[in-house]
Amino acid sequence: MKVSTALCSAALGVGLGTLLLPGAALADTTVSPATTPVGGTVVLTATTCNPKSGDALFRVTGPNRDQNVRSTTAAAGGGLSAELFTAGFTLGTYTVAATCGDGSSAGSATFTVTPIGGAPAGSGGDSRDTGALAAGGTLLGTALAGAVVLFRRRRPASAVA
Amino acid sequence: MWWRRTLPAVVALLGVTGLGLITVGLTADPARPPRPPAHAPTRTHPAPDLPPMPRAAPVRVRIPAIDVRAEIVPVGADAAGVLEVPPLDRPRLAGWYRHGVSPGETGNAVLVGHVDSPAGPAVFFDLGHLRAGQEIEVTRADAQVTTFTVDDVRAYPKDRFPTALVYGPADVAALRLITCGGRFDAATGNYVDNIVVFATRTA
Repeated sequence: MKVSTALCSAALGVGLGTLLLPGAALADTTVSPATTPVGGTVVLTATTCNPKSGDALFRVTGPNRDQNVRSTTAAAGGGLSAELFTAGFTLGTYTVAATCGDGSSAGSATFTVTPIGGAPAGSGGDSRDTGALAAGGTLLGTALAGAVVLFRRRRPASAVA
Repeated sequence: MWWRRTLPAVVALLGVTGLGLITVGLTADPARPPRPPAHAPTRTHPAPDLPPMPRAAPVRVRIPAIDVRAEIVPVGADAAGVLEVPPLDRPRLAGWYRHGVSPGETGNAVLVGHVDSPAGPAVFFDLGHLRAGQEIEVTRADAQVTTFTVDDVRAYPKDRFPTALVYGPADVAALRLITCGGRFDAATGNYVDNIVVFATRTA
């Protein structure tokens, strides 16, 4: 019971915060960019971790993956950052949960690994115009029939002459 | 009689025209799909307050405005990370990007289909003709039918594909339809653009 109560009040707190402070940076963990084509690099940042208390640890979980990434640099806007290279990642959405060097939780965020570029969804079509082919065939057929008629009519005429 | 003189000329004319048309028919450029404008999409239809649906694979898509009725198969990406499309010998099938959300769930669900194939126009040939306000119906494996309304239709060069707008997160249930378009580059065997339809769930 205690857990669910805490969860509800936490959710309510976030809701109120969003309401009262639109645009304020509430997320303790950020991923930038939030969407990357597979193979791209994302920057994980735990904005509230104090570098003096040691490295932050980012736990990255998602399809076929559960990996820990240690922070490497102090973030420009405060907190600690790590770069994550997504080559070989299964496509999908991942959750990043950060823990500060002092063991405190620094929240979580998600990012999405997507296909690269557009879709190869066309072949250039059929390079034959069936309408023109049919019309041409009909005309040619008529011409041949006409030629046969002419040929037959002329032969008896020339025989008489 | 006059026709004795003109008939050979008529026959010759028919023959030459017929041969000419056959030549044209064999070498003609194939029909080209419509090409929508290329700039950022806008959501024209505010999403109504619908409860999100649970995950269920889509099985059929219907777009009455452009006469599309297609079966859907799940697709992923190849080893290089490029989106898979249904096989070219089944050009009437649409593909659902299975690593994303399903149509009706909160987020952007993605469907992909060929614009054409060696057999001629394919399932999403007329996608570029869709206009804001037109509807797309998706039937899911749980027998639920969900309807999306088109917000916008855009063309993007493949090297500037709007990855985040198509695959990124969304706070409403939305749908993205992808096909090829623009100029066909015979040297590479590819179209230079992708056509993207942006739609939001409305029922």
